[in-house]
Amino acid sequence: MQLSREKLIALENKAHELRRSIVDTVYHAGSGHLGGALSMIDAVTLLYYHRMNIDRANPKWPERDRFIMSKGHAGIGFVTVLADLGYIDREDLKTFNLTGSKLGIHLDATRVPGVDASTGSLGHGLSIALGMAIAARMTGKDYITYCLLGDGECNEGAVWEAAMATGSRRQTNLITLVDRNHAMLDGNTEDVMKLEPFQDKWTAFGFHAQTVNGHDFAAIDRAIGEALARKDKPSCIILDTVKGAGVDFAAGDFRWHYGAINEELAAKANESLEKYHRERVAALEGA
Amino acid sequence: MMDDAMYASQLFLYAVIPLMKEIGEQYGYFRGKSGVVQLSVNLPDGVEGLHFVLEDGAVTTVLSLHERPDVSLHFARQQHFNDFFLGKTKKMPKIQGFGKPGLLIATFRTLLKMASLLAAKTPPADEPTKELVVRLYLYLLSRGISRLNRLGHPSVREWATKSPDRVYAWRVEGHPDTAAYLRVKAGKSKAARGLYTRSQPFFTMRFADLDSALSILLQTGDFLTLTAEKRLILEGAPEFGAKIGDFMQLVGSYIQG
Amino acid sequence: MGIAYTSLDTTKLSTAEVYAHTLCEIAQEDPRIVTLTADLAKSTKIGVFQEKFPERFVNLGIAEQNMFGIAAGMAACGLIPFTCTFAIFNSCRALDQVHTDICYQNLNVKMIASHAGTSFGQAGSTHHATEDIAIMRTMANLVVLVPADGQEAAAAVRAAIEHQGPVYIRINRGFDQVVYPQGIEDFQIGKANLLKDGSDLCFIVCGSAVFSALQAARELEAEGIKARVLDMHSIKPLDKETIRKAVHDTRRIITAEDHTVVGGLGGAVAEVIAESGMGCAFRRLGIQDTFSPIGYHEDLMSIHGIDTNGLITAAREALKMDFEEDDDWADEV
Repeated sequence: MQLSREKLIALENKAHELRRSIVDTVYHAGSGHLGGALSMIDAVTLLYYHRMNIDRANPKWPERDRFIMSKGHAGIGFVTVLADLGYIDREDLKTFNLTGSKLGIHLDATRVPGVDASTGSLGHGLSIALGMAIAARMTGKDYITYCLLGDGECNEGAVWEAAMATGSRRQTNLITLVDRNHAMLDGNTEDVMKLEPFQDKWTAFGFHAQTVNGHDFAAIDRAIGEALARKDKPSCIILDTVKGAGVDFAAGDFRWHYGAINEELAAKANESLEKYHRERVAALEGA
Repeated sequence: MMDDAMYASQLFLYAVIPLMKEIGEQYGYFRGKSGVVQLSVNLPDGVEGLHFVLEDGAVTTVLSLHERPDVSLHFARQQHFNDFFLGKTKKMPKIQGFGKPGLLIATFRTLLKMASLLAAKTPPADEPTKELVVRLYLYLLSRGISRLNRLGHPSVREWATKSPDRVYAWRVEGHPDTAAYLRVKAGKSKAARGLYTRSQPFFTMRFADLDSALSILLQTGDFLTLTAEKRLILEGAPEFGAKIGDFMQLVGSYIQG
Repeated sequence: MGIAYTSLDTTKLSTAEVYAHTLCEIAQEDPRIVTLTADLAKSTKIGVFQEKFPERFVNLGIAEQNMFGIAAGMAACGLIPFTCTFAIFNSCRALDQVHTDICYQNLNVKMIASHAGTSFGQAGSTHHATEDIAIMRTMANLVVLVPADGQEAAAAVRAAIEHQGPVYIRINRGFDQVVYPQGIEDFQIGKANLLKDGSDLCFIVCGSAVFSALQAARELEAEGIKARVLDMHSIKPLDKETIRKAVHDTRRIITAEDHTVVGGLGGAVAEVIAESGMGCAFRRLGIQDTFSPIGYHEDLMSIHGIDTNGLITAAREALKMDFEEDDDWADEV
């Protein structure tokens, strides 16, 4: 079912709020994984504000859809969603990374409501997600498990162990997404460790793999719809994204994998985000 | 390096013939008798033999030659000796001792009884005899393996040399008098009778009953089937059981030809 | 990779299968129990469970890291997963997953780590697990159990299920000497089993060394030496109270484990002794900071001095006594 224009604009509005919140949180923390948080936030918005079956009153609702953010260092992005849903206090965002805070770079599942797994050591998330998907089948439950990986993360062999098992088991109640922002800490992915042909790799491991524009809600949604409908193969949705999307001085630059934001940069970032948002709304209205 | 004939002779001397003590005692052949009974053979390196010292029926076995035995069975040729104990010939060796007919007859009776018991292909009918046969075999095998080690038989010596202080035991449930064990340590070995009680043996071949033991010892049954039926229980790692099993068969192969 | 057992082996797998059968019994009543393996169902004996509950068993193929991650995910969803692989892979290859996915998140994963120590002697150091006790006891939130035989492993499994949180159960290949023929009534995590009382010295042992200690104690008794034997199956939490009591009562402590002497049971006991402020003679028996040669487990235990003879020798040295019962090597006739 196609998303209506109203819904798309609502999602963009929400995403914009979250992008602002990300910049704000990075500013309060002093520095953070800005690039990877901004590249993934559109997909996460779509999931949490349209696709995922969750209970805003109860982050531990047993029937909920699960979300494993395997690229755990993007916690500074995900945490804004948790605050918006009310799973944590909005004020807590200002304590990110500070001593004694329950919020740090890698979110702790035992301390932060709404976090389904403590990721951070890259390569673990897909296995954990697979375990949850298998548990669903074993206990006769319908929930879907979504797992978001980073593209650089896919250097880890553990990712492919999980992929092989997912494909082998035809675990269709597990949907894998990859934030393909083409950049990692030390450089662009293809300069550090070549991933291409990336989609082919997932296909070879038994997935129905698709690549979509990771900033296009409608495209992502169609891909998820397709994934949910498939009963023969598990799906991998490769989100073609821009690291640091929305903040012009960070966009596409691998050096903003992790960066410091002071007051001046924060102001510049916000300006850029406003412009970015206006353009996107205009595009949606015009379409 | 010894040849097979020599190993056989040695085993007959030190593992088989000593069993005459147990047999004589069981059937009372030596009751009330006194004197020295000796069996000996000419081997390439000289005469070897053992003798039994009887004192009013009580038997002491001594693994060496006596100066003046009362009864002496001497085999002038090694081949004759081996064939005799393989059961291939009934031709008697040189006999001395007609002056002590009672003792002589007792000796013959014991020898004959031993031949019939050890040559049997089927188990005896009554329990006391079953017990005796099991005991005879277990003593024979334990002494046999120990003797092969002393003789430097390559595979046995290699195993014994590498062994830390360990005891390998054989027993039958409910029949402690049939038990035997073998202690091995850094090349040395000692065969002994009865149960080893100082601590748990390193390895035990435990038979559920006399019939189970006999089926292995008379080779009418096999290890695997008996183990599967739990009539034979190997206490200790299987690799070590297999080794002992091999040595048991090795001894058997020499004395059965 | 699988294991080829001799046909003799297949008829004597009781000590290894005991834990698997216990798990099946419990799983009959408790639907939360599920099991996983990484292509070692036959070797770790969890194949027994697989036959009974195929829908609650998952084989991940030769991918241990994936297996532990999956177990974490399952535990997060309310199941009680039992992972089954060799101790070396559990503690080394997949340690990041054990540490981060399971221990850090305090998830209810029970890890059966088999073929511990040098029990798979023939396979060489790639399959020996001689550092795992040391490694695992450093993980916060993790309970570390080292049962001595099949029955104690079964008891450990029961206790593990009752415990809320991750548990590491270290067992051998399955050919253990039996220490608890009747099973164990009162197995408690964190409480050592007093197998034999005595005040001349105390053997504090775990796993394969328990049987050695019992036999050593028996032989020493014949020489008039009364050794205490403590089956310290819980490495973590450690029964510090009982250790301190042993130090006080016997003044001579000998630890033994099929594991390096660095940081395992010996190290744990040393920590307690050092902090207790009490003086005592102390000796750690185990693998002396080396990789083990290839060989049968029993032979390796002898080489490393953790078989019965090794413990007796250590005990005598501790008591500064020398016995020679080696004079008569004539066969009894």
